[in-house]
Amino acid sequence: MSAQERRFNPYTENGGTILAIAGQDFTVIAGDTRQSEGYNIQTRYAPKVFRLTDKAVLAVNGFAADGNMFVQKVQQRLEWYQHAHNKEMPLRAIARLIQTMLYAKRFFPYYVYNILGGIEDDGSGAVYSFDPVGSYEREACRAAGAAQSLVQPFLDNQIYFKNQLPPSGGAHPKHLPLKEVLSLVIDSFTGATERHIEVGDGLEIYIVTASKRPNADLEAIANLKQVPGGFIGGEDGEKIYVVRRELKKD
Amino acid sequence: MDHHPTNWGRPRDDRVDPYGTFPIHARPRPAKDVFADGVQRTQQPIVTGTSVIGLKYSGGVMLAADNLASYGSLARYKDVQRLHPVGTSTVVGAGGDMSDFQHLQHMLDSLVTEEFTYDDGNKLGPTEIYEYLSRVMYGRRSKMDPLWNALVVGGVKPNGESFLGYVDLLGTTYQSPTIATGFGAYIAQPLLRNAVDERPDPLSEEEAVKVIQQCMKALFYRDARSLNKYQIAKVTSEGVTISDPLEAPTVWGFAEGIRGYGAQTQ
Amino acid sequence: MSIMEYNGGSVVAMAGKDCVAIASDLRLGNQALTIATNFEKVFPVTERIMLGMAGLATDVLTLRDRFRFRVNMYTIKEEREIEPETFAHLVSSTLYERRFGPYFIEPVIAGLGKGTNKPFIASTDVIGCINFAKDFVVAGTATDKLFGVAESLWEPDLEPEDLFETISQTLMNAVDRDAFSGWGAVVHIITPEKVITRHLKARMD
Repeated sequence: MSAQERRFNPYTENGGTILAIAGQDFTVIAGDTRQSEGYNIQTRYAPKVFRLTDKAVLAVNGFAADGNMFVQKVQQRLEWYQHAHNKEMPLRAIARLIQTMLYAKRFFPYYVYNILGGIEDDGSGAVYSFDPVGSYEREACRAAGAAQSLVQPFLDNQIYFKNQLPPSGGAHPKHLPLKEVLSLVIDSFTGATERHIEVGDGLEIYIVTASKRPNADLEAIANLKQVPGGFIGGEDGEKIYVVRRELKKD
Repeated sequence: MDHHPTNWGRPRDDRVDPYGTFPIHARPRPAKDVFADGVQRTQQPIVTGTSVIGLKYSGGVMLAADNLASYGSLARYKDVQRLHPVGTSTVVGAGGDMSDFQHLQHMLDSLVTEEFTYDDGNKLGPTEIYEYLSRVMYGRRSKMDPLWNALVVGGVKPNGESFLGYVDLLGTTYQSPTIATGFGAYIAQPLLRNAVDERPDPLSEEEAVKVIQQCMKALFYRDARSLNKYQIAKVTSEGVTISDPLEAPTVWGFAEGIRGYGAQTQ
Repeated sequence: MSIMEYNGGSVVAMAGKDCVAIASDLRLGNQALTIATNFEKVFPVTERIMLGMAGLATDVLTLRDRFRFRVNMYTIKEEREIEPETFAHLVSSTLYERRFGPYFIEPVIAGLGKGTNKPFIASTDVIGCINFAKDFVVAGTATDKLFGVAESLWEPDLEPEDLFETISQTLMNAVDRDAFSGWGAVVHIITPEKVITRHLKARMD
C-alpha cells in the first residue's frame, strides 16, 4: 500500500439482481430482496422493485442509497406530471424522463442500473433498460446486477430462442404466455441464488397487466396480491400484482 | 485496528485496514498528518465510537453501545453516551466520528424543538427520524462532505409496531429485525440473528436483554476498541429508557497461561 | 490485463446417465483480436477420458504434451489404463508442482470409470485444487455465464443425446455473451461404447 492520498469514496455496491420480461399484454419485473455490502448481508428484505404508476414499475440495482433516492425523485416527477396534466405519464415518456434524470448527473452519476417495465399506450408489454448515465433501449427482456452474466445468456436462450431452430415450417413465438414467463423468472433466480453469493433471501415479482386483459391465468398463481394504486383506468385499466417467494438464505 | 506501538495515540484511519490485517512492514498510513492544512471536511474520523447493536423484541426495540470514544488506539473518553433519545419514541445510536454525532444530536434536538413549537399535536416517530437522518447523511455524502457515522435508529411507531433501521455515511439505509454496526457486524450480528431467526414469536424483554448482554460481552472480549461499560436503551409504547452504565462479568483466568495474553515478559 | 484472458476460450463438462460430455469453443485470440477459429481445447487422454483446458494457449499446448507423457509413463509402469479419478490427481499434482509460478490454465476432466462406467467430471484451479462435481464443471473466460445457464438447463440422468443438447445449448448461449469465447464449438460425448464428437454450427461474431 503506497503513501498516496486517499479520499472519501461516495459509492459502494449492494449486490442483488433484477430482471424484466415483456409479454404481449403484460410485463413481469422481478428482483431479489437481499442487500449486502462485501460479505455482510445487511438485510434479507430490501425491495429493489417499485410501483411508479398503474402501468409502470421500476427496478433499481447497484448502490442502494442512490437507487432509493433515484426512485423517490422519479416518483416525485411523476406526481408533478399528474398534477399538471391530470393523467399518468405514458411509459415511453417515463423512459425518456429517466434518461434525462440520469444524464443530468453525468459527472457524479447515480451508480444504479435501472430496468423499467410496464404497459405502453398501445397496450403492449414493454421493458426499457438503462445504464447509470442514461443510455437506454426498449427490449423484450433484460437482466441486470450482480448475476446479470449468469441470467442474461439463459434469457437469450429461453426468451429469444437463441441457438434454437424453429419448428419446421414455423417460427419461434414472439411472446411467451405469463405462466411460462413466471417459471423462467423463478428458474433464473434460483439458478443465480445457487451460484452467486449476493443473490438470495427473497424474490419479489411484479406483474403489470394491460387494460381489458382477461386475467384468468393469474388465479393459478400462489401468493398473488394486487398492488393498490390510483386505478385511473377504472376496473378495466392496467393492474399491478406482486408475488413474493422465498429464495435460499445461505 | 492498528496495534503497532509506532501508531499508539495516533488518530486511526478507518478508511484503510480497519482491523489491522496488514503485516507490519506493509502497514498503510495517511500520507500526511490529518491536521496538516486545517480540517475543512471530515475525510477521516478522529474521535471514534465502535459498534452499535439493536434488535426488535415483543413490544419494543432495544439498542446498546459502550461508553468509549477512542482517539486512534487511545481509549480517550470513557464516559460518552452514544445512545441519544429523540422525542418520546425514538433512540439513535451512533458509531464512527463522535464530533459528527454531536452535530447530529444538535440537529435532531432542534428538529424536535421546532416540531414542538408548532403545537399541532404532531410528534416525530422513528420512521420520520430515520427518513430525516437518511436525507441528511445522503445529502452530506453527495456534497463529498460526509458525517462519518453508522447510525442505528430504534423506536416504536404510533401504531405500536416496533422500528429498527440503519443509516450510514454513504446514505445507505435498511431495516431489519437485528442490526449491528462496525465490528459488531462480525461478532454480534450472528448472535442476534441466532436468537431472533426462525422464531415464530418475538423475543420477550428478558430474552432480549440476555442476548444484548451476551453480545456486548463478546464484543468486549474481541473488539480492541471497546469498553466493558455500556448502556442499553429500550423503547416501548411507554417511552424511552436508557440504562445506567452496565458491566459484563468477564473471566480472564485462562489468559494467565497463554503467551501473548498474560504477564510473561519473555 | 489478466493473463487468464489473454487468449480467451471456455470449456464445460457435464455428467449424464452412464455418459459424460465435454465441450469447448474454438476461438484463439490475442486479447480482442481473433487469431484462429479452429483452436480446440479438449484432448483425449485415454479411450474414455478427455481433458479440456482453458487459459493461456501456450500452456494449453505444453500441458497437453506433458499430460500425454505422464499418462504414457503411468500406462507403462502400471501396465493398465489410468482411471479418471487417478488422472484428476495426476493433473492436480502436475499443476501444484508449479505452485509459485503456475501454468495459467484451468483444466476440466471428463471420463467414465473402467468397468463401472461411472460418470466422472472434475475441474481444478491453476494450482491444482480439485473440484469434484456431480453435475457440471466449467472453466475459462465465460465461467460466470456457463454457470448461470448450466445451473438452469442441466438435470440429472440425461441420456447421451439429451446431454449433447444440454451441453451444446449451455456452451453456445454462454459464449455468445462472452467477447473472448465463441467462434464455433466442439462437443464430445463419452459413452461406454464410443466417443461421439460433433462440431457445432455457432455464431461467428
